[in-house]
Amino acid sequence: MSMDRRDALRMGAAGAGLAAFGLGFEATARRVVEGVAETLARPARGAQIHGRSLAPECVVDPATGAVEPNPAQYVANSVCLGCTTLCGVRVRVDRASGRALRVTGNPYSPLSADPPLPETVSIRDSLLATSRHEERGLAGRATACGRGAAVLTQLESPHRITTALKRVGPRGAGRWQSIPLEQLVAEVVEGGDLFGEGHVPGLRALASDDPIDPARPELGPKRNQFVVLSSVNDGRENFVRRFVSQAFGSANFVGHGSYCGGSYRSGSGAAFGNKSTMPHAKPDLPHAEFVIFCGTAPANAGNPFKRQGWQLAAARAEGALDYVVIDPVLGHSDAAAARERGRWIPIRPATDAALALGMMRWMFENGRFDARYLAAPNAAAADAIGEPSFSNATHLVIAEPGHAREGRLLRASDAGLPFEAPAHGPKDPFVVQDAASGELRPHDAGSAPAELFVERRVGGLRVCSALFLLRAAAMEHSLEDYAAICGVPAETIAALAREFTSHGKRAAVSTHGGTMAGNGFTNAFALVTLNTLIGNLGWRGGTFLGGGMFPDNAAGPRYDLQGFEGARQPRGLMLGRNNLAYERSAEFAAKRAAGSPYPAEAPWFPVAPQLGTEFFTAIESGYPYPIGALVLWNSNPVYGIPGFPRLAERVLGDPRKLPLLIGIDPFINESTCWADYLVPDTLLYESWGWTSPWAGVPARATSARWPAVEPPLARSADGEPVAMESLLIGLAKALGLPGFGPRAIRAADGGLHPLERAADWYLRGGANIAFAGTPVPEASAEDLRLSGVERVMPLLHETLKPEEVGRVAFVLTRGGRCQPPESAVQGEKFRHPFRGPLMIHNELAGTTRSAVTGRLFSGVPRWQPAAFQDGTPMRAVYGEREWPLLLVSQKSVLMNAYVIGADRLRGIHPDNPVGVHPEDAAALGLKTGDRVRIRTPGGAETATVIVRRGVMKGVVAIEHGFGHTEFGARGHVIDGVAQPPRPALRAGVNLNALGVLDPTRRLGPGFWLDPVAGSAVRQGLPARLERIAA
Amino acid sequence: MAGSRRALLAGLASAWAGTAAEAAAPAPAPQLGPRWGMVVDLARCIGCQACTVSCIMENAVPPDSLRTIVNTYEVTKDGVVGMAMLPRLCNHCADAPCLPVCPVGATFQRADGIVVVDSDRCVGCAYCVQACPYDARFINHETNKADKCTFCAHRVDAGLLPACVESCVGGARIFGDLNDPHSTVRQRLDAEPSAVLKPEAGTQPRVFYLHLDPLLSGKVEGTPTLWRPQHEGA
Repeated sequence: MSMDRRDALRMGAAGAGLAAFGLGFEATARRVVEGVAETLARPARGAQIHGRSLAPECVVDPATGAVEPNPAQYVANSVCLGCTTLCGVRVRVDRASGRALRVTGNPYSPLSADPPLPETVSIRDSLLATSRHEERGLAGRATACGRGAAVLTQLESPHRITTALKRVGPRGAGRWQSIPLEQLVAEVVEGGDLFGEGHVPGLRALASDDPIDPARPELGPKRNQFVVLSSVNDGRENFVRRFVSQAFGSANFVGHGSYCGGSYRSGSGAAFGNKSTMPHAKPDLPHAEFVIFCGTAPANAGNPFKRQGWQLAAARAEGALDYVVIDPVLGHSDAAAARERGRWIPIRPATDAALALGMMRWMFENGRFDARYLAAPNAAAADAIGEPSFSNATHLVIAEPGHAREGRLLRASDAGLPFEAPAHGPKDPFVVQDAASGELRPHDAGSAPAELFVERRVGGLRVCSALFLLRAAAMEHSLEDYAAICGVPAETIAALAREFTSHGKRAAVSTHGGTMAGNGFTNAFALVTLNTLIGNLGWRGGTFLGGGMFPDNAAGPRYDLQGFEGARQPRGLMLGRNNLAYERSAEFAAKRAAGSPYPAEAPWFPVAPQLGTEFFTAIESGYPYPIGALVLWNSNPVYGIPGFPRLAERVLGDPRKLPLLIGIDPFINESTCWADYLVPDTLLYESWGWTSPWAGVPARATSARWPAVEPPLARSADGEPVAMESLLIGLAKALGLPGFGPRAIRAADGGLHPLERAADWYLRGGANIAFAGTPVPEASAEDLRLSGVERVMPLLHETLKPEEVGRVAFVLTRGGRCQPPESAVQGEKFRHPFRGPLMIHNELAGTTRSAVTGRLFSGVPRWQPAAFQDGTPMRAVYGEREWPLLLVSQKSVLMNAYVIGADRLRGIHPDNPVGVHPEDAAALGLKTGDRVRIRTPGGAETATVIVRRGVMKGVVAIEHGFGHTEFGARGHVIDGVAQPPRPALRAGVNLNALGVLDPTRRLGPGFWLDPVAGSAVRQGLPARLERIAA
Repeated sequence: MAGSRRALLAGLASAWAGTAAEAAAPAPAPQLGPRWGMVVDLARCIGCQACTVSCIMENAVPPDSLRTIVNTYEVTKDGVVGMAMLPRLCNHCADAPCLPVCPVGATFQRADGIVVVDSDRCVGCAYCVQACPYDARFINHETNKADKCTFCAHRVDAGLLPACVESCVGGARIFGDLNDPHSTVRQRLDAEPSAVLKPEAGTQPRVFYLHLDPLLSGKVEGTPTLWRPQHEGA
């Protein structure tokens, strides 16, 4: 298995100059004489031993703890965007050049240090806290991960765009001319014959309350044809939402979730009964005794990456934690050095739900679920037994096949019990069967337990308790069947179930994007439901919800950033077809009138959040309505959506399908390369913004982004960097939209303040944060100097009220604000309760019909194989004979969708050879280093093979982040000057270039989406390998 | 319950037994001032390469060269497939084989044990590169001098921690004074079995590993999963 150096050299993979740490410990030619004792060492005086190492940020006397900061540097606490965790980082900046030198963790950030420093610690003392003095820096480590330490090189990338650009020649030609921002705004707003290709309607034509289609009023106004795709909330999203949703009035603003971890969010949202916020809990690793990671790998990725990484490391080294990582691919979450504490269990892709339901079956058969917890039908009943949450396990569900209300929770009005009108309204309670008397009663009456397993008739209808339905679903297959489906032995499934139910509340299941298969919703819903069955939410050692943030964008204590005069409420059908039941559409009515309402022209997704993938269905097919203008803000759907790379030109390259495409991004990516206009953006520590932990931090926390270094961007006429904010402010002014301009932000005292530049927004958000609850103190002059915040103080003085300046500055110096960790817990419980109910049966899912088949989805987790929209299992179309393998995407520790240009990461890890199991490799005569062609029904790509026992048989593992064609991989021509292309950025293969389309979809590019969650399918793609002769 | 948990994990695969050849950690010698050393707790390494990149950024290590890295191997033991992380750096050996081979006396060991290269004297002959049994040295192709980990002597001298240590996400890398009986490194070494790489080389490394499997202490039989560095094509 191991490779010798000759192999590596023959493959050309090892650099000629690279000796150090290449491939194990090669015997060296020389042996040396002995006898140089340490005491004979020579003095270092005068010797040049430090090479080009950086000057330290300070000198600390290890004995006294006296700190002498380096006057040539400052240490700015800001936020990393190397991944979506958005850790607080400490950026070391050279004052003279303004360059960011190096990044470590912000010691005040709970995403980088544990515990974070209290905000009362001065910046000077924060330097002491990471020093050798009393070894404080060992205990108080504040870290940046490998990627986080490397991304600052992106700031000075030669491939950054720094001015507004307009395409020259056809879309995608890679030729551009730089233009002033004001020209861009004028052209985009007014439209015209902008490219010599005919008239392009401008945004002004879309800023209309006229209906898109008078015959289909449910679509809403033309405003919805202005469409924005974002990536992740980098702390600036609220600003964009203000423009898109509230000022322009479009319903179509969405992030990248539908091709990131959407299945998890939807599945967890179903378990938590909240589609709009999609809550998701994280395991409390420091106190857990047994954790199952399935569909996520805590030391490979996930969110928060570092925090769960160090918690895993500490808990397995010194705590009580045992864990398993159930994954088709062995990753970094496993450590030989902690072998007895953790195990990798390989699983077949797209079968997580089979494993979870197999565990449930064993738990039901052996009575190993928390019956006491599940019997509590309401919050009072939970309180009575000391439980921080409750579930709807005992709530009765109408289970009469074919009945109009099948899948609905039975209401008091259905059962002849008292209720508050209207019937089936929000105050018409659910119904349970009392455990003692057997009588029906409203779920919210009293605190007595209810019956867990009920099947009876009420008013002639079959009704079942939710837990009865879940048990029935789990029992649909034998343990052996589940084992055969998922490839995990039945005895292992039983052992996992036994172990999971042997620790009271101190056990948890954690999942995430590994569930993104053709049955992703079911996978995630089933895995999260395991937590519900032991009632671990809110318990130490169980699972917990994040503590939230100090909100900037709120009707806050200082300013109302949420409401403004003339604010619009978007209305009408979202392009993801997720905010309206298909049965309420004009299309349904017309089809029913014509005979059969099903199938719809395309699937609808009422159980899902807004879906970015469906923007492209709209572009390609005009369904449900065409897009007038698409803005891609720091998003790259072509690279990220399986199947899109091969269709990009067809979908985005034709101005007749999409009249206007605007990219806002620091780089030209695989999507924005098709744009008509490009606008640069601030990057990393150049931006303003307010972020919060996504999950996994129980205490309330907000992180601050502020321009710790100056963005190298062109300026607008009024002196602002040409970036997202100046573009949107310019557009708002040109369009005359409300919410922007000289009198746009209302202070708590009623005064009106301007929103004419970025600082107007973010600093007033900062005032809301600084004054939330007990206001923070004011920053000291030394804090300002040492943290570099002094460089933005003129803006604070110009923008804020005098009493706000010092306090907002204080928050900036600390890189944010957070509650002390101990505030989040009380005894054995977390303080942020979820007042439920957790859903064993999700009524929305259970009453939604596929718009394609007309069949109801299941309201409880229930095994179903990966399938296409019409319900056809994938394997029924792409059988194992022709496609014997399944592709999976694996998260990378170092690379991601947008950092291929970070040279120092590529220097460590330049390629992503695809992992193949030894038996599959042997069958094809493959060995590590061989080249193969990976073929799927969606296309073919060449790749290098690495033969690994840590890949399940039948699986091909592709690490995400490689196989780029832009970001510098192609040289663009700007103002006649060609950028040098860097072929090294093309290294490796992108799984999404092999994405499989859904052959049952009739309209649009036909991306394969989970039928329920609408999430793009990247796990379990049918494939085969072909050896390429050397 | 604990029994069933053990049974589960044991049932999935038998536990790794045994430890690497244990190294006798040197006795403290407080009268000599600090003797810097490192203890790496492998059970806390998650292979994130924060150390690797932090070192590169702190020390301006040129492309395609490394002063430290975490080698990641897929290893099979007793039929169990697992991932093994092995952070590697200069061992700052007590009996460093790189010292005597330097023809110009550029390589030397400071009184605090840190092995360094005086770049004013170094002629880039690479004898030291060849002499190191740990492949810890390289010729810096930007300066044409021998280059290696200095334990971030410039930071240590400033009362700070080496870049790789301050940025270690899992808390695996522990740095301190081996001569100080109260230091964390000293206390961990006194309390737990430790091992060094290639003990048979007799170099007396001052980088110690906790939980080091013998599989990793010499030439590793495993599949390196971090694709090796290469020169950029452009």
